[in-house]
Amino acid sequence: MASTGAVPFWRAAGMTYITYSNICANLVRNCLKEPHKTEALSREKVHFSLSKWSEGKPEKPRLLLVH
Amino acid sequence: MAMAAAMRREGKRLAPLISSQPINNTLRSSLTSPLEQSSIGGARSISTQIVRNRMKSVKNIQKITKAMKMVAASKLRAVQTRAENSRGLWQPFTALLGDATSVDVKKNVVVTVSSDKGLCGGINSTSVKISRALSKLNSGPDKETKYVILGEKAKAQLIRDSKKDIALSLTELQKNPLNYTQVSVLADDILKNVEYDALRIVFNKFHSVVQFIPTVSTVLSPEIVEREAEAGGKLGELDSYEIEGGETKSEVLQNLSEFQFSCVMFNAVLENACSEQGARMSAMDSSSRNAGDMLDRLTLTYNRTRQASITTELIEIISGASALTG
Repeated sequence: MASTGAVPFWRAAGMTYITYSNICANLVRNCLKEPHKTEALSREKVHFSLSKWSEGKPEKPRLLLVH
Repeated sequence: MAMAAAMRREGKRLAPLISSQPINNTLRSSLTSPLEQSSIGGARSISTQIVRNRMKSVKNIQKITKAMKMVAASKLRAVQTRAENSRGLWQPFTALLGDATSVDVKKNVVVTVSSDKGLCGGINSTSVKISRALSKLNSGPDKETKYVILGEKAKAQLIRDSKKDIALSLTELQKNPLNYTQVSVLADDILKNVEYDALRIVFNKFHSVVQFIPTVSTVLSPEIVEREAEAGGKLGELDSYEIEGGETKSEVLQNLSEFQFSCVMFNAVLENACSEQGARMSAMDSSSRNAGDMLDRLTLTYNRTRQASITTELIEIISGASALTG
């Protein structure tokens, strides 16, 4: 089994299971044929802004955009 | 009949005598200058201009709220099916791990899900209230509670009293339609930036267009799952599962809890978006109804004043005419 061997590697690379499964899902999406492929890729847009707080003050928000 | 007519004629003749003072005043003013007359005319009848403007603005507001209701209704339809379908994601986890709301741990993280936009009833203040209660419930010596806030509205409310406890805030979630990739990236960012023993996710579960149930979902860290499993109970049954492949139990538990968190978050965000639209719909519905009531009342006042001023003018004209002839 390929995944069994791969588990320590992605964990060692600092990924969480969520990132790992997202990469896998994206690979699967890329395997689709054309009309469905663009549709599936355009559906999964990432857009939000995140700001860390320290000592009761927000830091500068970081905008996350993956299209 | 004849008597009544006679009385009326008599009354007409008597009227200028009874109220001689004002009539004389108006007569004198009409004779002296047109400027003075207009000022008296203004004082005589109430200006209806203000009421008319008010009616216009109320009507415009009603149009806006009606439009907002329609928009919310169509958005709700789109998100409702997705929210209901996403319930299938967390249900297996709850069946496997149970929902340990009352677990006692040191590092609590309350994830408050709210909306970015307002005008949606009390759903945001409900989730803030529940979050505050949860953090109070889990406070104690050598325990700490941090907030992770999704959405502008809960941030604005929690900034007031729990500034120090906010660890992360995330906004602008709903620029694009919500999807799993987005929420999972978001969940990943939360996991990377916050240390936790238990994540408590507070959101409004969509029940119907007028009913939203404030809900808490608890996601435990793998260490706590193992600790609880040794203590027995629902989680004790985990040992009866066989683990395939070369992974150890702790690795499996870690993957599982991460995936559980992103699934629960996905459902929570969708349910909350759904509740938001539902709440906005009913809020806008009642506000357009209120605007309608207000408009009715204003129209009534307007017409009544107009009618009253017409009647006064008629009386004056008639009595003036009769005073001249009589």
